[in-house]
Amino acid sequence: MTASPATVPPARRGAAPPTAGYRERVGSLLAAGHRFAGLWVAPGGTGVRALLAAPSGAVDQVVTAPVLAGTAPSVVDLAPAAGWDEREAHDLHGVRFAGHEPLRDLVRHGELAGWTVPVQGDDAYQVAVGPIHAGVIESGHFRFHLVGDRILHLDARLFHKHRGLERFAEGGDVAHGLACVGRACAACAVTNGVAYALAAERLQGLLTTAGLARVRTVLLELERVWNHLNDVAAICAGVGLAAGNNRFSALTDRVRRLVAGLTGHRFAFGAVQVGGSALSAGGDQVRALRADLAALRREAEVSWRELVFTTSFAARLPDVGVVDADDARRLGTVGPAARAAGLADDVRACSPDLAYDGFAPVRPERAAGDVQARFEQRGLELWQSFDLLDQLLDRPLEPVRAEPGGPAAAPAKGLATALVESPRGATACAVEWDGERLRRVRLRTGSYANWPSVAFAASGNLLPDFPLINKSFELCYACADR
Amino acid sequence: MFTLLRDLRRLRREIALPRPDRGRSLAIRHVDAGSCNGCEHELTLASGPAYDLQHLGLGIVASPRHADVLLVTGAVTTRMREPLLVAYAAMPEPRRVAAFGDCALGHGLLAAPGELVGPVRDVLPVDLVIPGCPPTPEEIVTALLELCDRPVTRP
Repeated sequence: MTASPATVPPARRGAAPPTAGYRERVGSLLAAGHRFAGLWVAPGGTGVRALLAAPSGAVDQVVTAPVLAGTAPSVVDLAPAAGWDEREAHDLHGVRFAGHEPLRDLVRHGELAGWTVPVQGDDAYQVAVGPIHAGVIESGHFRFHLVGDRILHLDARLFHKHRGLERFAEGGDVAHGLACVGRACAACAVTNGVAYALAAERLQGLLTTAGLARVRTVLLELERVWNHLNDVAAICAGVGLAAGNNRFSALTDRVRRLVAGLTGHRFAFGAVQVGGSALSAGGDQVRALRADLAALRREAEVSWRELVFTTSFAARLPDVGVVDADDARRLGTVGPAARAAGLADDVRACSPDLAYDGFAPVRPERAAGDVQARFEQRGLELWQSFDLLDQLLDRPLEPVRAEPGGPAAAPAKGLATALVESPRGATACAVEWDGERLRRVRLRTGSYANWPSVAFAASGNLLPDFPLINKSFELCYACADR
Repeated sequence: MFTLLRDLRRLRREIALPRPDRGRSLAIRHVDAGSCNGCEHELTLASGPAYDLQHLGLGIVASPRHADVLLVTGAVTTRMREPLLVAYAAMPEPRRVAAFGDCALGHGLLAAPGELVGPVRDVLPVDLVIPGCPPTPEEIVTALLELCDRPVTRP
């Protein structure tokens, strides 16, 4: 690199612009405790931007490198979590990354050799699964490399559902961007919508009010509750425990009905808006919702205990699909999977624009990073989310608007980012805007961050255990593929 | 385990699903051709205890070779067109196709140019449409029962 890399103002208001070179800057932020949270190509393909999420309370940073002769410096050696981001930037925008070798296909579906890691030796063979799976599952292809039943390596080829939603958002107005982000995924629709809305509001110099933070947090926690109940049902399905699967499916359905009662839609489509919330629930409705959630919690707790004491079920979970703390840190694992490995990462602990005051992440006592720990983590977070909802639903929900913060509140260069904790982990949204039209939208969901961890967790395990390992992460394909 | 089963039995009594009065059945194979995952989540719950597709003779099967109906969610992406056609080709006659959800019907599609082939009807002959974004489990059950009751015509 000959030219000095350009830098842009940090994601949030008030921090001084960094000046050091791109790789040096990324390296020093990582050393200072920042976490890699996403990478995207700047409008016009002139630069590559990396988002570094601050340890709790501080300011997230965006560092930009210029693209010279189609090439940018790679940071994959500093932050292996950037692997997918750089491969995607290459496939979709043609940017090459100096030092990222081999730069394998991710979004592009080329020859087998272009995206698999060759596994050779006696008795090694491949099992190809998908894109169409045997159950009601999203489309994606898994290529297992095995000896006997033992998985040596897994190459996941996703992006069968790539719809180019981010590209389609470009050139549209802020509302069009929300529609595109909202269509990315139903299971994370609230999270993705809130992440986009927060970034878009920062761009427009709008400030979140306490009322708006509260409404959004209620929606986010309801989304987490039904997703976690769904994940417990899925883990039961992963070992063939039909009674547990049915019981938790029924609970999942009950929460989606509550979401529909509150928002008019079972996945809260349309409930998140930029600049405010139109959601309204009177005293009686909120009291009824709170009582329903309390009753649901009691039932979930009883059923949870039954699962824990069903030995044939519980014995299947420990020491399967391990991603320990060191691996999780290296791979950039987020969400329940990272906390089950003993990491304390939870965006909710540093979300001043949402109603998470005093929030402290929970971790299981035995944070072994295996299926058992990820299962237990879902339970711990369920009870925590029920507690949060009980506190938040102590008064009616009213329509609210974000407050204008004046020109001083808006970032100078038309770039803002936001991080929100989805049921699957940290979701980052970056929005670049010229004052009227969107120039770039990048949505990096918890599922996107964690897919490499699923492949990592599978290696060394038995092929028949893969459904269980996969379901202990229960990632979306839709919000990875976009 | 006893408590789980007891709770499920109580749940079934409370829901009181009507006893099916039909002698027909449908074997269903689902293909996600590019959905947002909403259709999959609702279809999964339609098989759960609150709606119970199975007790109406509607079963999700693992292979298109065992299926009467191909249930397709999402507008068809360019990358899923080929797998969808392969699944359809594997089905025995008589076979039917259900376009499931508003994307599959081509309503309000959001996608960059070149990434979508189009709604399901542009790729396969569609026998049943199940509108909704996504269709609720009740709507799924109603639509599939209507298809189940249609007389079968051999090609």
